[in-house]
Amino acid sequence: EACSVPAAALVSLSAAVAKLCVCDLLVAQCDTNCCCDPDCSAEDFSLFTTCSIPVVIGDSQLCSQKAAVYSLDVEANPPERIFKLIDQVNPSIFCIHATNYEQALYLKSPEIPTAENFDELLDKFGGATFSAEPDSWNLDTDAQNPPEANETSRYEYGVPVQTEDAFLRLPSPVVSSWCSDANPAGFLVNQATKCIRSVSVEKCDSIQALSMLFYINSSILASVFQVNITVQSIVVQSVNGMRTLLSSSEVLRLPMVLDELCINAVLGVNYHITHTDTGEIIEAAAAFVLGAISREALSIEQSFEISFTQENTQPVPLSGNPGYVVGLPVRAGFQPQGYPSPAAFLFSSNKHSQLTILHSTSTQDCLAAQGARAPVLFGYNMISGCKLRITAAMKCQPLAQTLLDVLKGQSFPEYVASFGNSQAQDVLDWVPITQLHISEQMISHTLQSSCQIPVSLGIEVKWTKYGSLVNPQARIVNVTATITSTTLKQLPSGRERIIPITSSVVFTDISSPAEPSYKAWPTINIKLPFDFFYPFV
Amino acid sequence: NNSSQLSSLPLHILLYVNGVYYIFYFLATLAMIIYKSQVFSYPDDFLAPDLAVLFLMAILEVPRLYLGFKGNLTEAEVPLGLSLGLTVGSMLLCVYLLLWQSYVLWADVLLNAVLLAAYGLESGLKVTAIAAFVS
Repeated sequence: EACSVPAAALVSLSAAVAKLCVCDLLVAQCDTNCCCDPDCSAEDFSLFTTCSIPVVIGDSQLCSQKAAVYSLDVEANPPERIFKLIDQVNPSIFCIHATNYEQALYLKSPEIPTAENFDELLDKFGGATFSAEPDSWNLDTDAQNPPEANETSRYEYGVPVQTEDAFLRLPSPVVSSWCSDANPAGFLVNQATKCIRSVSVEKCDSIQALSMLFYINSSILASVFQVNITVQSIVVQSVNGMRTLLSSSEVLRLPMVLDELCINAVLGVNYHITHTDTGEIIEAAAAFVLGAISREALSIEQSFEISFTQENTQPVPLSGNPGYVVGLPVRAGFQPQGYPSPAAFLFSSNKHSQLTILHSTSTQDCLAAQGARAPVLFGYNMISGCKLRITAAMKCQPLAQTLLDVLKGQSFPEYVASFGNSQAQDVLDWVPITQLHISEQMISHTLQSSCQIPVSLGIEVKWTKYGSLVNPQARIVNVTATITSTTLKQLPSGRERIIPITSSVVFTDISSPAEPSYKAWPTINIKLPFDFFYPFV
Repeated sequence: NNSSQLSSLPLHILLYVNGVYYIFYFLATLAMIIYKSQVFSYPDDFLAPDLAVLFLMAILEVPRLYLGFKGNLTEAEVPLGLSLGLTVGSMLLCVYLLLWQSYVLWADVLLNAVLLAAYGLESGLKVTAIAAFVS
C-alpha cells in the first residue's frame, strides 16, 4: 500500500518524501520488512522478504510529484534494498497543476487559542455541553416556533412534552451535580433525578426554582386543548426531617423568609401524567415536597420524578417477562395470615416491603443508619455494611434485636417471586426464603452466659436459566438468608469496641448445561408385510 | 481591386472563431469549478473570487466582440479601439484564471493558454486594422 504525505511546498517535498517512514516504529532498532527504516543496515535488509511500504508519495492528485520507491532486489546475493527518488506523473487531464490556497490538500487543523480568539472559543466550547444544534432547546419564547395543533395531539415515546412556553422541565444534573433546568421530560420516559441547587436565604423568594409556581405555571399542550398541571398533594418537611402531608392542597404556598428560615421551598416534585392509549395527554398532576432552608445552607438537593400512566389501568412494575431482567428489583412478598389455604400473596411496589439490604451511609454508624435500605437488584451482587460501637453499658438483648432490624429491615419478606412477572395468585411461582442461623461459638467462653449478636446477613439467590436455548429466561430457584452471630464478650467499663456489620447479596447461576432435545425420539418402523409367511400362515 | 477595402478579413474570422471558442471555454471552466468544489476542499471565500472573475469575463466578452465586429466592418477606429481596451482587460482576467485560481488543473492551463493566444493574435490584428483606418 502506498503512503501519502500532505503536499508541502514543492521545494521541500522531495526531502519530506525521502525521509518519511511510517513503518519505523522502534526507536534505534530495525523494524522488520521496513525498507525505509534508517536504523537498518545492509545485513538487516538481506533478511527481509518484502517491503511493507513500497512507495511514499505526496498527494496523487498532483500532476507531477516526487515519489520514494523502495524495493528489494532478491536476485542479488545477499538481497539488497533499492531506493529511488522518481518523479511520478499523473496522466489525467484533471490533475492539479498548481494551487494558490495553502490548505488545499491538508486536513483542517483546529484553532489554537490565542489572546484574541480565546473569548469566542470559550463561548462556543466552554460550557458543559456543546452541540451542532444548540438552538433546539432554547428557552427564548420569541425564537420558538409554536407547533401546530395536529403535531401536539399525539406524542410518541421520547418526544419532549411541550407546554405553552417551551417544554415540561425536569431539572437534572448535567455533567456535574448542579441542577440544569434545560432537561425536557420525554413522553413515556419515567425518570427520577436528583440534583443540587445553590440557594441563599436572602434571595429565597426571588429564586424561581424554589417556588411551586415554576413547576405548574405553564400548561401542557395536548390535542386541541391545554392540560393544566394540578397540585396533587403537598408534603411539608420540617427542619429535622419529619414529613407531614397537608390536608388541603388547594392553597399555593410560595417561599418566604420566616425567622431566619426560608420556608415553602420546593425540595421535590413528582409529576404524574395520565395518557390515553393513543398517546394523548389528558391529565397532569404534581406532588410537592416543601421544606425549609436554614441560613447556613448554601445549597439544597432537589429530587424530581415523572411517571406516565395509561388511563383506567393500574400499573404494576414487573421485573421481567417472564424471566428476571438484570438490574430490576427482585420481587418479594408475604403470605397473609390465612395460611394454609392457598391464598394470594401480598406484595406491593412500596420500596420498604421489597427485598432490601442495608445501604451504607457516609457516617458508617449502624445505630444512626436511619433505616436506609437499598433494593436488591437481580444479578447485581452487593455488599454493604456499617460499624457498631459497643460500650460496656449496652445490654445484649436489645442490642441483638436492633442489629437484627438493621440487617433485615423493618419488614423482611417471606417469599420471593420465581419469575419477573409472577402473579400474586399463582402460589407455586413463589419461592420461600430459607432462613439459616449460624453462630460462631467461642470455645473458651462457653461457661459464661453467651450473648449472641448478629453480625452479618448473607442472602444467596440461586437462579437458573429456563426455557429455550435461544432465549433463556432467568428464574429464581432458591433464596437463603444466613445470619451469622457472634458472642459478645462483656467489656470492662469504660472500654469500647468497634465491630463491623456486613450484609451481602450473591446471585449464583446454577443452570445445568442445556441439552438439545429432539421432538420425539426417532422410532424404527419395522413391520413385516402381512403375507410374509405366506405358504405357512 | 481591394485597395479601397480596409476591413481586415483575418480579424473578422478570428473574432468569429473566438466567439465560438469562448462559449465552449466558459462552459468548460464553469463545469470544472463545480467539479473542484465537490472533489477538493473549496471554501466559499476562495470560490467567490474565481466565479466572479469568470462571470465578469463573460460579461465583457459580449460588448468586446460586438464592438470588434462593428468597428471592423464600418472601418471606424473608435469602436475598434474600445474593443482593444476590453481585450486587454479580458487578457488580464484570463491570466488570473491561468495563474492565480485556487486550483489550476492541467485542463485549465490548456484552455486558458489557447484563449490567451487568441486574444494576443486578435490584439495584433486590431492594432494593424486601426493603423490602416487612421492613415
